[in-house]
Amino acid sequence: MRHIRRLFAKFGNLFRNGQADRELDREVSAHLVLLEDSFQRRGMSLDEARIEARRAYGGIEQAKQLHREERSILWLEQTFADLRYACRSLLKTPGFTITAVLTLALGIGANVAIFTVVNAVLLRPLPFQHPERLVRVFGDLDGVGAKDIGTSEPEIEDLQRADIFDDLSAIFPVSTALSGGDHTERIEMLGTGFDYFQTLGAEPALGRVYGPRDAVPGFTEAVVISDGLWKRQFGGDPRILGRRIRVDEDGYTIVGVMPPDFRHPGQTLAGDVEMWAAAGFAADPFPSPPVRARRFLPGVIARLKPGLSLQQAQHRLDALAARLAQTYPKDYPSASKWALRLEPAEQSLTGSVRPMLVVLLAAVGFVLLMVAVNLASLLVARSSARTRELAIRQALGASRARVIRQLLTESLLLSLIGGLAAMLVLMLSRSSLLALMPSDLPRIAEVHFDARVVILACVLSLVTGVLFGLTPALHASSSSADPNRDLKEGGRSGSPSRRQHRFRSVLVATEIALSVVLLCGAGLLVRSFWNTLQVNPGFDSEGLMVARIWIPNPNNPAMNRYRATQPVAALSHELLRRVKALPGVEEAAIGGNNSVPLENNSLRRILFSLPDQADSTQTQRSADFTAVSPEFFQVLKTPLLRGRSFTEADTEKSKRVVIVNEAFAKQYLAGRDLGQRVNFGTFDWEVVGVLTDVRDDGLDANVQPRIYRALYQGTANEMAIFLRGASGSAGLKQQVIQVVQGVDSDLPVYGVRTMHEMMETSLARRRFSLFLMAAFGALALFLASIGIFGVMAYAVTQRSQEFSIRVALGAQHRDIVLLALRPGAMLTVAGVALGLTAAWGAAHLMTSLLFGVSPGDPVTFLAVPVALASIALLACWIPARRAVRVPPVAALRS
Amino acid sequence: MLQGTLDLIILRTLRSMGPQHAYGIAARLEQISEDLLKLNQGTLYPALVRLEQQGWIKGKWDKTEKGREAKYYAITKAGLKALGEETQRWRQMSGLVEKLLAEES
Repeated sequence: MRHIRRLFAKFGNLFRNGQADRELDREVSAHLVLLEDSFQRRGMSLDEARIEARRAYGGIEQAKQLHREERSILWLEQTFADLRYACRSLLKTPGFTITAVLTLALGIGANVAIFTVVNAVLLRPLPFQHPERLVRVFGDLDGVGAKDIGTSEPEIEDLQRADIFDDLSAIFPVSTALSGGDHTERIEMLGTGFDYFQTLGAEPALGRVYGPRDAVPGFTEAVVISDGLWKRQFGGDPRILGRRIRVDEDGYTIVGVMPPDFRHPGQTLAGDVEMWAAAGFAADPFPSPPVRARRFLPGVIARLKPGLSLQQAQHRLDALAARLAQTYPKDYPSASKWALRLEPAEQSLTGSVRPMLVVLLAAVGFVLLMVAVNLASLLVARSSARTRELAIRQALGASRARVIRQLLTESLLLSLIGGLAAMLVLMLSRSSLLALMPSDLPRIAEVHFDARVVILACVLSLVTGVLFGLTPALHASSSSADPNRDLKEGGRSGSPSRRQHRFRSVLVATEIALSVVLLCGAGLLVRSFWNTLQVNPGFDSEGLMVARIWIPNPNNPAMNRYRATQPVAALSHELLRRVKALPGVEEAAIGGNNSVPLENNSLRRILFSLPDQADSTQTQRSADFTAVSPEFFQVLKTPLLRGRSFTEADTEKSKRVVIVNEAFAKQYLAGRDLGQRVNFGTFDWEVVGVLTDVRDDGLDANVQPRIYRALYQGTANEMAIFLRGASGSAGLKQQVIQVVQGVDSDLPVYGVRTMHEMMETSLARRRFSLFLMAAFGALALFLASIGIFGVMAYAVTQRSQEFSIRVALGAQHRDIVLLALRPGAMLTVAGVALGLTAAWGAAHLMTSLLFGVSPGDPVTFLAVPVALASIALLACWIPARRAVRVPPVAALRS
Repeated sequence: MLQGTLDLIILRTLRSMGPQHAYGIAARLEQISEDLLKLNQGTLYPALVRLEQQGWIKGKWDKTEKGREAKYYAITKAGLKALGEETQRWRQMSGLVEKLLAEES
């Protein structure tokens, strides 16, 4: 109790120290008066009594100090004093303070911003129970180099029966047409197994989710919708449960609404999943009875049994695959080497952006390091101006530790203000910063500040403060080991010592090295970006516009108006006839599923065989697949290499024909392509043409083998209208939508965009990382040149007398400039050499971000040092020239 | 002086003599120690502030008989209780030391 009481009293005294001091003064003088009285009573004179009283009392100042230490918390009191002092001295040099706070805010802010993204995307576990047990299962054909070929319904059952997973569900992202609003709308739906929500351990915000008890062979009637759809389409109606809706001409009942932050942890087609529907995948609209070889289910998500490691699970999965291959040799030809592969769900969701974010995080860390080094250099310069002040403090009895503490308080105060400013700016500009990010970044919706980000900001500020403050503080205090000398030296010229200058030089060389690393990184990304832009996409994007149409696919095939080839062809012809009449449209073509270039299309690949080749029936091969109308290649301006294009004569009554891309011809047909047969979907198709490769998976992705079939020889449940000569104006986009709805109002139109817009999207991630890297590099270059300029300017001033003597003795201006340049040049060379070594290592870590350029790209590794050296030399040259401009007499007299 | 001894002596003095100023306490100390204990009177102050912060004594400005102003310290209830405990502890301690010294000789 008394200890707590004392602590409070001590703490209180921190804030009324002055009052306590005055009280003590009063008490001491009263005490002295009483002592004097008593000595006078013993017969002393007033003066004698006064002296004697003081002797009896003892050292007044020591006693006061003891009192102070006793009544208050000394270290805290000193900290307050240091803080007050730091504030005063920072306010006295506003230029330095503002520069320091700004660069710190920039450095810390950039780090916090990137970390916030990394934290949300890579670090924070998926928002489900035991996310570490959530996995994805992929089927691969290692023998033919095909990854992720999908899963068939019997395989799903095998997986569910295997003693590996608690729950397992197929996931099948599809488009659907939701009618009932003022127009039929395309929404993103996820077809799942009945165990989907159980697998994730997800609860609805409203109503219920479907589960195993809903199991039927086809689709259940019960669907769950997203919070977004609920609010947008149904106005957040609380009585939504039990509402009947029409989706792809089928009736469904809404049984649940998911919470706003629930998101499907996997890839989607276009945007967030808005509706979940469960199916057994064993009845209409799916193949019935299920066929083992029809792997139409594009994904599987599962929850591992507790206590099972990923490795153990993979072993069991390998055993299962081997057993199945043995039992069904026809479905799993040994040459294709069918295998099952596990991947943590989190990794498969965010793995593609991990390298980019890691590189950015490293780069931004370098920037902060640069800022710290730069500030350290500034502080050294500042502390040399304060040599005298520090010497006086030490002469008055301040210990070295005390001086270091005072200087550190100053740098910590600076970095904390910088950190605070950074957080403020980040919070205020949050939405505009988010808009900078590529919108297809996985988990982007989860990017927000949390405790971890705030802690990081604090830690970063503190560490930075110590980093840039400690070395100069140690330095300043140790150089004052001889206060006598410093008092004299400081008194004479107020100029820093040689040691401090040498130390600054080391700092500047470090800055140059760091900026070489950052600039090389930026250079490699610039080169990659340039290479990406140079890639021939295989089509002409100028004046090309695309509108996508979803053709409803009712669960009952009999209900499907576009089930047969004939109506699809008729629809296509009618659409083409009407859009061609739109203003500005010169030509138009229609493609089926997966026909839009640059949109990651390899979600659905087909397996085929080549009957004309020796090993044909045994080996399965895979390729991307799409159907296109006869005008397609002409409208996209994709040149045909050999053979012919499709014509209106290629209908269901004529011979089945395909055109393959160059990658296909090279990989599978090896020279003899035209006239060869390709077998898929139980038919043989004849290759009639070979087409230039089109970059279907993005400009910087490898082209996959691809088969184009004639649109009018089959059906399609998705169409894309390609318009050539279109302006891409909002008005035209609206007209296209009206045209489609005019032909059939049940067809939802979506994704109406120009090819330019799509190329932008496809470049967004690359542009994002390039933009940041370039900004970091520019900042680094700026800081480094300021640093080198400061050091050189100082060196030249120091030597101005020497230069003047040399000039007086007959040295030419050229000689002086060269002389003045030399130390700067040496610093630059040292820094660049160090930086290049580090950059060489760092570049290899970002290989996966590069395109068409090697990590050791000679152009980058030559251009960066040359550019940096020229800027550094310029920074040296300006002070060097100043050196010769000073009239020798003036310099000698100064 | 032994740690804590000064606190004990101050408390004891205040109990037996009533409220006293720092000078009075110092004079009393010198008197009872028959000038064996010569201390710088300033060193009393840390002990006084410690005791006051612990709530064992309380200071109040007043006038001396001669009309001089001085801060008078009085022992509080908590101080009286503490004095009892501290005296007890001191007795045990000194008894122990006494016993040890007797054995040694």
